[in-house]
Amino acid sequence: MDQQKAMLFGAAAAVRLLLFTAFPSLPQLLAGRVEVSTPVTSFKRLQEGVFLYTHNVSPYDGGVYHQAPLLLPLFSLLPNPASSPFATNLLFTAVDLLGASALMQIADSGQSVVTRLFKSSRKDLRWSSAAIAATFLFSPFTITTCIARSTSALTNLFILTAMAKASQGASFTFIFAMAMASYLAMHPILLFPPLVLLCYDARTIKSKTAPNPLAFTATHVLGFAAACGGLLGLSALLTGSWEFLAATYGVRLLLPDLTPNVGLWWYFFTEMFDSFREFFLGVFWLHVASYMPGLTIRLRTQPLFVATTLTGIFAVFTPYPSAADASLYLSLVPLFRHLFPLMRYTFLASATILYASFLGPAFYYLWIYAGSGNANFFYAITLVWSLGLSIVVGDSLYAALRDELDVERPELRGKEVKRI
Amino acid sequence: MAPTEGANASSTSNTTPNDLKSPGTPPAAETPKTLPPPETKESLRLRQWVIASFWAVVLCLGLPMWWKTTAIYRADLPLQHMTDWAEGKICKPVFPLRIAVEAPFQLPDAHNLIRTTQHALDDLNEFSAHHLRLILADIPVARNASQQMVTDGMGISSNDRDIALLLRLIPVETGTTPRSMLQTYATRLDIYYAAHQIPSSSSTGSPLATFIAEELHSIFAEEQALLAYQLSTNVGALTPKMKAPSPEKVAELERQSTRALKYAPTYHLTFSLFSPTSVPSAWEIESALQQYLAPLLESFSFISNFTVDTQVQLYAGFSPSIRQPEYDDNLKAWTLRREDLSGFINAAEWPLSPSIGVGPTVNFVLYVPDQLQSPLLIKENGGNSWLVPQWGGVLILNPPTSGKNTPTVLTKDALAPAMHAFSDQLMSLLGFPQTPNSLPLRLATLERVRAASLLFSASSTLGALARLTKALPSIPIPDTVAKSVDLTIAHLQQSCDSLRDGRFQGALEHARTAEVEAEKAFFERSMVGQVYFPDEHKVAVYLPLLGPVAVPLVMSLLKEIKSVVR
Repeated sequence: MDQQKAMLFGAAAAVRLLLFTAFPSLPQLLAGRVEVSTPVTSFKRLQEGVFLYTHNVSPYDGGVYHQAPLLLPLFSLLPNPASSPFATNLLFTAVDLLGASALMQIADSGQSVVTRLFKSSRKDLRWSSAAIAATFLFSPFTITTCIARSTSALTNLFILTAMAKASQGASFTFIFAMAMASYLAMHPILLFPPLVLLCYDARTIKSKTAPNPLAFTATHVLGFAAACGGLLGLSALLTGSWEFLAATYGVRLLLPDLTPNVGLWWYFFTEMFDSFREFFLGVFWLHVASYMPGLTIRLRTQPLFVATTLTGIFAVFTPYPSAADASLYLSLVPLFRHLFPLMRYTFLASATILYASFLGPAFYYLWIYAGSGNANFFYAITLVWSLGLSIVVGDSLYAALRDELDVERPELRGKEVKRI
Repeated sequence: MAPTEGANASSTSNTTPNDLKSPGTPPAAETPKTLPPPETKESLRLRQWVIASFWAVVLCLGLPMWWKTTAIYRADLPLQHMTDWAEGKICKPVFPLRIAVEAPFQLPDAHNLIRTTQHALDDLNEFSAHHLRLILADIPVARNASQQMVTDGMGISSNDRDIALLLRLIPVETGTTPRSMLQTYATRLDIYYAAHQIPSSSSTGSPLATFIAEELHSIFAEEQALLAYQLSTNVGALTPKMKAPSPEKVAELERQSTRALKYAPTYHLTFSLFSPTSVPSAWEIESALQQYLAPLLESFSFISNFTVDTQVQLYAGFSPSIRQPEYDDNLKAWTLRREDLSGFINAAEWPLSPSIGVGPTVNFVLYVPDQLQSPLLIKENGGNSWLVPQWGGVLILNPPTSGKNTPTVLTKDALAPAMHAFSDQLMSLLGFPQTPNSLPLRLATLERVRAASLLFSASSTLGALARLTKALPSIPIPDTVAKSVDLTIAHLQQSCDSLRDGRFQGALEHARTAEVEAEKAFFERSMVGQVYFPDEHKVAVYLPLLGPVAVPLVMSLLKEIKSVVR
């Protein structure tokens, strides 16, 4: 097992380092692609921020850098990626490997099939943790994100770690990882409620007695708030002012940068009447947030599935999504191998995603470089991409509910169901 | 809201088998197909909680957000007050001009003279808003007049701008008396009189008093006409006592006012030298401007400021679209027809930019014709310069006929006639009155006229803004507009008060600020964004996105309420 894991990780690291060294211009190329690098995760913008930071200028001057301040000291310690990129490449490779390792921990915990309150009737149908890690490590989306050195790789790592620690019931590391993920990308804060439930369930299983739910929630919420407050305070200390809040979270909330990306927001807001812009920003954000309470209540028994579905929703409905968000969701889906037989549109979903992945760059080229297309070409492709991901989200949700029904009424297993 | 609904639901739950997603067809062997098995209490409550959670987001977050982001902010404007200003109900501008009288004789006599003169003046005056008041100057009586002229040439007026005119009575023995002399560069009118013409304290009228009154009346006649014209063109400000100016007078004033540029705090003057050949390629414009124009601009500086630039363009002939000049044997010169003058400016090729910077541009074109077509004059009157209304002036500078070749450098002396012409043109472009023959007096007149016109223009802008606000209830009114309106009103009030007190300098300054603020408020960009956005369009904005979202939310809520009620 360990040998298998070592081989897998070695192979994944080798592929990444090989791509980095064999194609030295590839990171530059990918860092400029809108599908991978968004204004809030781009490595080029990070370099700009680091340059300003090391020259004692506020990194948020000039309005290019929109990422968390704590990334700056980390990247300013590394040698300049323009002249000696090896250290940076190694860091991003390590981030991927750590993420894969966290994913293996999630898989090993078995929370995806058997939770405290729910035991799937198909619990034996699952892939090994190594196989799941392999889908993450060798997913083209993950590799692209790694080569483009997008900082969403770090966000993904912290989300995976938070899930892993929650499924092990390790409160302290869970809270820290959750706080880091929220601090880096803001929207992962919505994962906190389902993951607290997951943590509670895991703790109950571990200690065989249920802790007081109120006390448990209160300590975790307070701990999470303290961790986030600490990170923000540290950032303020580091940059010397609170202006980073407007430059990072403000940008994510108010969408001033309408650079195209694979999401649905940019096109909509380029067309929006100015006087309704604020209203629809609110609507879009509430739309993202409104799924969390409903899903958490409905699927209270399967909090890990709720968290997974939410990452899928993030990959479609957040303002600056990229292939990295999709890679996170698509590598969490194999944890629920037991739902695959119940899914009805697997072919359609995979075909749509493949179609969008291949045609997206082509249409972007037609629009921006060749000039023979227009913005609608690329936007149509992002619609297809979002459709593909939404099909996976919806279909897996259906499958999870059907799976629940099978447990509730075993006599209905294998029968056709219909909504009334 | 969520807990209540949950509680209600749990109390009345186990009735309806009306589920969203479960249990479909039950085994046919046990029950008839039409009746699915009842839902568990558990799943019912779960569903109600889910629906409640979505509605909680909509109601607790969505509604306040909608309210806050789509509310049109309308700052309070004093609409009635603004309309009153525009209709001239608040401020009736009056122009009390103080005229100091310096009389070298005994106080009772002086008082008597002033009283009788004032009487005569009041009888002459047809325009009640503009009125001249004589006061006695506090200057030692026994002073040699000629000596004083030397010691302080400008007299009181330079120290005290509020005195419109200084009237100095000078006794003489020779010449016709009474006679008057208006100082060209001072606000002083000298009256020469014979000793016997001093009115006695008993008489009610005297030739001297009548003479002075008539003199003063004629000096301020044009100013009165200008102000009366200003007031009459602004409806509402018309005072009932005022007699309407005669039609010819109105036509003349209209001509003047169409010629003059609109008032601006800063004007940009451009002096351009155009030549169809390669000479002259230089001109001593800087020193010429310094000598001939700077004093004028300096004296004008309390009304407007000026920026100046100059340019030389070679091989820049006049517009080819007009008829070429013809040689006139009588004049021994090349002549241009008067009707062609309007097409003389070669707008296509001459780089005369319409406006540089903030203020309007006044263009002065100095054209040096080709040696072969020199001298170049205007056919009808043999003149060589003309004024383009609201644009600038043109002067054809014919090179001296003595030398065969056009000089390469135009010296300061050569430029002198041009500069004089340009000064004259500038004065009429700025709206200077034609009379009286004293520059400071004309400046003071212009100051009062400008103050009045700015006052009216700012007031009518306020009125327009008030009408706009009433007519378009859907436009937002930001706080900056309210602030500008308040400032405008405050400055208008101050300006009006200053006018009443005869402090015309202050009146102009306040009126100027008021005008700037009023324009700022009226042309606020963020107000007009939604002017063409009727309410029906909002349906098109909201429905495409919110409709599809609302349908499942509303339907599930209705279904749930129905099941609870049953």
